[in-house]
Amino acid sequence: MAVNRWIQSGNYRRNYKEDQTIFATFSEQASLVVLIILLFLVPYAPFMSRSLFRLFDLVLIYTVAVMGLNIVTGFAGQISIGHAAFMGVGAYAAATITRDLAVPLLGFADAVPFWYVLLLLPVSGLIAATAGAFVGLPSFRLKHLYLAIATLAFQIIFTWSVGHTPWLKQGGSIRVPRVEFFGEIIRGSSAIGPFFYYFGLVVVIVMALAFRNLLRSKFGRALVAVRDNDRAADAMGINPGATKVMAFAIGGFYAGVAGALLAFYNGSVIVESFSLAISIDFLAMAIIGGLGTLVGSLIGPVFLQFLDPWVEQLADLVQWVMPSTIDVGTAMRPSVFGIIIVLFLIFEPRGLANWWRLLRQYFKRWPFKF
Amino acid sequence: MTFFLQLIVTGVAVGSIYALAALGFVLIYKSSRVINFAQGELIAIGAFITYGLTVWAGLNIWLSLAIAIGLMYLLGQGIERVFLRPMIGEPIISVIMVTIALASVLSGLVYFTPFGTLTARFPSYLPDTPLRFGGIVLRWEHLVGILLTVIFISVLLWFFTRSTLGIAMRAVADDQMASLSVGVSIEKVFALAWAAAAMSATAAGFVVGSLYGLELAGLIAIGLRVFPVVILGGLDSIAGAIVGGITIGILEQLASGYLDQYVPGGGTGEVFPFVILIVLLLFKPYGLFGTKEIERV
Repeated sequence: MAVNRWIQSGNYRRNYKEDQTIFATFSEQASLVVLIILLFLVPYAPFMSRSLFRLFDLVLIYTVAVMGLNIVTGFAGQISIGHAAFMGVGAYAAATITRDLAVPLLGFADAVPFWYVLLLLPVSGLIAATAGAFVGLPSFRLKHLYLAIATLAFQIIFTWSVGHTPWLKQGGSIRVPRVEFFGEIIRGSSAIGPFFYYFGLVVVIVMALAFRNLLRSKFGRALVAVRDNDRAADAMGINPGATKVMAFAIGGFYAGVAGALLAFYNGSVIVESFSLAISIDFLAMAIIGGLGTLVGSLIGPVFLQFLDPWVEQLADLVQWVMPSTIDVGTAMRPSVFGIIIVLFLIFEPRGLANWWRLLRQYFKRWPFKF
Repeated sequence: MTFFLQLIVTGVAVGSIYALAALGFVLIYKSSRVINFAQGELIAIGAFITYGLTVWAGLNIWLSLAIAIGLMYLLGQGIERVFLRPMIGEPIISVIMVTIALASVLSGLVYFTPFGTLTARFPSYLPDTPLRFGGIVLRWEHLVGILLTVIFISVLLWFFTRSTLGIAMRAVADDQMASLSVGVSIEKVFALAWAAAAMSATAAGFVVGSLYGLELAGLIAIGLRVFPVVILGGLDSIAGAIVGGITIGILEQLASGYLDQYVPGGGTGEVFPFVILIVLLLFKPYGLFGTKEIERV
């Protein structure tokens, strides 16, 4: 049957194999390709400035972390308030392995080759995944949302232990060598070029594909089953505890990769980048983007990171009418972010991803309403 | 030996503050199954209101504590009204995330006031010379903490066993659907739970403020200390909050007494309760007095 694939208006899935495809329609596939090409062209856009580059790079790194949080919170239905700590585990793993193993043993001077970074990302991810699995362990015996408290405890223990370990410079800055890419030393955030943008983009694409693939697998459906009704899932032969532990491990893996990426990007690791406040920022990104959707964890970080400069400007405006003893900058961020989370939870619990879905449907059906 | 006993005594005194802070948390969990992540901010706001009334308005400290508790009652009701009421019927996970956001909003609002950067002490209202029993020293502030805890607990006991509203609260904790059908207003009960949480937090904040001084981060940290307490005692048990609070207080003092010398920078007392928390979740997840949930498939 000859079908015009460009005007396909819905899913006509006739068997399980078709139901498990990654992309629902051909136009979705095509628009994704266009989007990726556009994203690859962004560094050549005339409006790109250094601060905008930094913003984009951070968005990409945070996107990887938020995807992990979305697996834990959006799909497994467990709140994690320690996601920044998992990211920190990855970052510190990358920094210490480089400092104590790679530099003395492999003899890197002041830059590490690119293949080493590629190798180290999954290694740091695995170390963070171990931490994630450990924090998730109580879910073998616990139901409900007690685990949120365990993740909070992990966040506090992490910050405290880093701050009290001389080996980790007690939370002070640990230097991470620069990356050498085909003979050129990339100087990270200090002289921003498109290297980290492309690197981050490729990592995001790979991780997003893995995410999408995971969700259509048996494990992905088990996750959703456990979230929606763990008793029913148990009755169908899914082990809810093991599924949740695995979700925490995978979430930790994503966070660890993001952490290692951040370490190489900044050229240093410092404990303040992995505080409780950052964990709550991640949660905000996941909620605002939309829990339980991949698109959500891509939109959320973009939205919040681009909101950040606006909040700063607003803070400057308010500072004008407030006495100078009050630091409006530190006051504005938590209040605005908190209020946005509450508003989204009350009025649009499905997040921006839902608006995106509605928009797409509008165009798909145009000129009809239904 | 004196050192050990001293640590125990201080631990009991500090623990009673934790118990006070945990009371409100347990009340909220009991009535609505919501884990309140904003308890630390409530403690801070309660302490700051008391400070403002004593120092800026020049009121007697006990009077300002009473007024602060009254104001926090209103704040608790207001929080429930604005943030929690729209969430009734939503999944619990969303409600808990609302309390996380609430914590963020409240601490942001404190930064908008001069309290955000304040480091101060209450004007001294107690004798400076501590009580001595043999070699053991007990500060007057600790005594106030223990006293306030006893007062709050006896009021709560009276409230839950004698008053109609208290019995209604217990009914809601037991079975929401059944209590709705006999005409208990769930909204009222939730609002009351939040108000009670804010009030007990104020008392805890007052004692912490007089012991360690007033500083936003420190007060919020005390609020986080509530979690080990309630996990040890069991999330939905008032008796558990008290026993858990005192146990955690003692363990924390013992840790900082004996372990600090092995750790660069000290401060083991800050983290030890959370290590206990993780171990407890692994081996005794429902705590000492928490309701064990038994499910069969």
